[in-house]
Amino acid sequence: MSSEKLKILVLDDEPIVCKRLAPALEKLGFEVDTFTQSLEALHQIQEANYDIIITDLKMKGIDGMRFLQEAKSKNPATEVIVITGFATLETAKESFQKGVFDFIAKPFKLSEIQEVVTKVAAKIRAARG
Amino acid sequence: MALSDTGQAGVSGRADYMANWLKPFKKLWEGIRGSRTAEATPFPEIFEQFQTLLQDHQRVMELIADLGEKSGGEYIFDRKYLVDITNDLHTLLLHLVNSLNLIAGKRYMDLYATLDRVFLPLEAELRGRLSLSEEMPLAVPLSALPLDHPELTGGKANALGRVIQSLKLPVPPGFVITTRANRKFLEVNHLEERIHSWLESWAAGEADEAQTARQIQYSILAGLVPREVLNEIKHYTAREGVFWAVRSSAYGEDGELTFAGLHETRLNVPTPKIPSAYKEVLASLYSPAALSYRAKMGLVGEEAAMAVLCQETIPSRAAGVIHTLDLSDPGANCLVIYACFGWGRTVVGGEAADRYVVEKDPPHRIKSIDVAAKETMAVPAPGGGEEEKPVPPDLQKQPTLEFEAIDTLVKWALSLERYFKRPQEIEWAQAEDGSLWLLQSRYMIIPRIEIPRQEDISRATSRYPILIQGRGTVAHAGVGAGPVFQVYSDVSLNRFPEGAVLVIRYTAPWLTPIVPKAAAIIAERGSAAGHLATIAREFRVPTLVGVEGACDLLRDGRKVTVDTKQRIIYEGRVKELLQYELVQTPAFEEAPEFRQLRRVLKRIAPLNLIDPHAPDFTPQGCQSVHDIIRFIHEKAVEELMDLPKFMKRFKGIKVWNLTSEVPIGLKILDLGGGIDASAQGNKVVAEQITSLPLKALWEGVSAPGVWSTEPIPVDFKGMMSSLTKTWADTPGSSTQYAGFNLAVISDIYMNLHLRLGYHLNLIDARMHPEPQHNHIYFRFVGGVTDMTRRSRRAHLLAQILSKYQFKVDVKGDLVVARILHLPREEMRERLEVLGELIGFTRQLDIQLKTDDDIPAFLETFFEQHSPADKSTSL
Repeated sequence: MSSEKLKILVLDDEPIVCKRLAPALEKLGFEVDTFTQSLEALHQIQEANYDIIITDLKMKGIDGMRFLQEAKSKNPATEVIVITGFATLETAKESFQKGVFDFIAKPFKLSEIQEVVTKVAAKIRAARG
Repeated sequence: MALSDTGQAGVSGRADYMANWLKPFKKLWEGIRGSRTAEATPFPEIFEQFQTLLQDHQRVMELIADLGEKSGGEYIFDRKYLVDITNDLHTLLLHLVNSLNLIAGKRYMDLYATLDRVFLPLEAELRGRLSLSEEMPLAVPLSALPLDHPELTGGKANALGRVIQSLKLPVPPGFVITTRANRKFLEVNHLEERIHSWLESWAAGEADEAQTARQIQYSILAGLVPREVLNEIKHYTAREGVFWAVRSSAYGEDGELTFAGLHETRLNVPTPKIPSAYKEVLASLYSPAALSYRAKMGLVGEEAAMAVLCQETIPSRAAGVIHTLDLSDPGANCLVIYACFGWGRTVVGGEAADRYVVEKDPPHRIKSIDVAAKETMAVPAPGGGEEEKPVPPDLQKQPTLEFEAIDTLVKWALSLERYFKRPQEIEWAQAEDGSLWLLQSRYMIIPRIEIPRQEDISRATSRYPILIQGRGTVAHAGVGAGPVFQVYSDVSLNRFPEGAVLVIRYTAPWLTPIVPKAAAIIAERGSAAGHLATIAREFRVPTLVGVEGACDLLRDGRKVTVDTKQRIIYEGRVKELLQYELVQTPAFEEAPEFRQLRRVLKRIAPLNLIDPHAPDFTPQGCQSVHDIIRFIHEKAVEELMDLPKFMKRFKGIKVWNLTSEVPIGLKILDLGGGIDASAQGNKVVAEQITSLPLKALWEGVSAPGVWSTEPIPVDFKGMMSSLTKTWADTPGSSTQYAGFNLAVISDIYMNLHLRLGYHLNLIDARMHPEPQHNHIYFRFVGGVTDMTRRSRRAHLLAQILSKYQFKVDVKGDLVVARILHLPREEMRERLEVLGELIGFTRQLDIQLKTDDDIPAFLETFFEQHSPADKSTSL
């Protein structure tokens, strides 16, 4: 494990997603905060910096696309991974245009998201030297 | 996905969408029906329909397997996924029914009604409308609780149902008065509205807690128990001289939330007093303490539902509680048994009790015994209820439990914790005759301060050597630790130690009995959709399949920790990880999504139609999606098998004749790529077969020594020679075409009907490059001899096939064997064996004169025909 822990924010309005992801990522050595309300998550990113954000797209209130835009403008270095059950080519394209690192369609395997997160973490660490 | 508000509308909107979507289909169908007769359907269309049907069938099988895999916890999914898959299945099934009717001249129109019968409840289930429907019972026996409906029986009863049905531990018999009875009670007494308005004024601050509780409780206690409910209670309490424990089992209790101690329990209740005890327990749902707890948890707006558990009283000589986590020393990996004489009430009440601290690791050494001076004990009072009595002076300082009883309790406690994935608080009792009973098991309430915040989990685990990482597929997610125990044959099944890690080459169904004892399972081969994986999920045993090299690396006795969530196998016991899992991570099995998936699966996955000649092999007999596609597949193939009619209908279609030394008149219908393109005329030889499954099978059938056999008694010879001829030549069958042996093949597929004398073999197999698309289905029936010999042969076949990891069902003389998702080469080996078996079965009835002949024959067979995996599976 490297010295500095990377921080991850997970936003999904299905509690099960947060509950399953948190321990799976903690075990990989990340610090994880989870949110089921996009408004709360939005407040949180004003308070703290996250290295990685994992967000659903379709949610009540502020949707994922807007949330990730806000997050990116607040901190352009934040890497975003989108998870969604409504994966279309359009949303995928839009996500990538907005600078999303990867796009995962639900349902997905824990190991899939662990791989993606490991990859993005390597990228962040490499960028920091 | 948001399904709470807008989503609900979305889901039911989908149902409307489905109905609309179906319209054109039905129209199309009516069009087909009206415009031409079945006879007029041209062959190319039938042919195409058949191929489409096979593809759709395959797709449905894969979706079913997918759903099964999802219930193992490796996937993250939400409700939308379940809705989507169900819709996909519905669409595919409609296609299948349409195709079959096209092929079979509309003789299966009943299947449309069957589709409705199976899918409407499924879709209702997904909309969440089925909960507490009118069909649900007012009372159910504990031994037959519907486990995936905690909303019906409440949390406490649900947990006990699992203990009885899955863990098979002895629990005092009884029954549950369901939440539906609770609702009925409110209806009959016109209480729903009133309770609601009292609660509202409390929530609005217009009334205080005590006042609200008093009003509601009084009105419940003054209510009448509905006659239907009384009748149910009478039905379950017919036996005389029994006293009852009447306990609350509220929905939500013992789950994520724990209402422990908030609701009433009445002990030693005589039968006539059950209705009044029932009302008292119902009323306790609205005690001031329960109300404030619900307010704190934000549950006031939600409907409260109380089921009531009634169990026979065990007059106990001793009783107590087990904590599977020692709160006084949480890091020590020990459990604590508290015990006292009489009823366990004094232990729960915190009075003097013996305290046994036992190590959770085998051999479960007793670390300490503190014998308390037990001056009083609770015992049943003669007319019901309980009373306090002094403990005889000579007993007061005696330990309560013998070592044997401690052993049993430790075993129970560990299996309960392993199953429920949380530290458990377990109530037990020992009857006068020494027998032990499990009364309750619930999540332990662990005060946060008791557990010092653990060190970082990733840092802790990084200290342990990793033996295997990133290999295999998750069949059930979780963490388990123990010594490795490899199992090669059913001989070693009995020696499998409780809590060991099962390491195997193949996930064969005969391993089923030891699954509940395993801390984890690792298999080199096998599918997450296979039978053993399903069993592992039922018992919540962390399981990885497809872990290359596991058997060589993980030798017997080596201590390992298996984390299938991360697909890592650690050397040694990673106690930090085990603690983390137990205390920090939620058990996904209890999540509503997983419960719903399991309920949905019950209407989709089980296969009930096994015997196509059984009277219920009809559209009406289909109970699940799997049954329907099984029925459709069977009937579609049957249509093609009716070759005389078929050929009459479609003059000029190409049917090949196989020329071979083995005298089976086999006709071949090639759907594409099954016969070498260079073949001319209408005859082919074995070498020209390019269909992988048929090629493999034929290698077995034509292997040296298989067809030509040892000399057999002369008087049987004539019969044998007739057996090698096809059905067409046997007496009583005069039609020229009757009963051809026919193989319908493609490059990777084969459906073969083979009639050898009186034996009927059916093999359906696929050998795709990707294992998850592969299957073999084998069916064998019939024979010329008496039923005893035939079923003897059936059992022999079953034994041989299960050694090759087939899942085998035997009914009389019918044998059905299935295997899924093995790589091509391993499917090939098994088809070759099937070929050899088919050759052999011609003579089996005659050779197997007594049951004693079976082992000798088995030996001969395995000597001559090396099993797929000599080193391990036998």
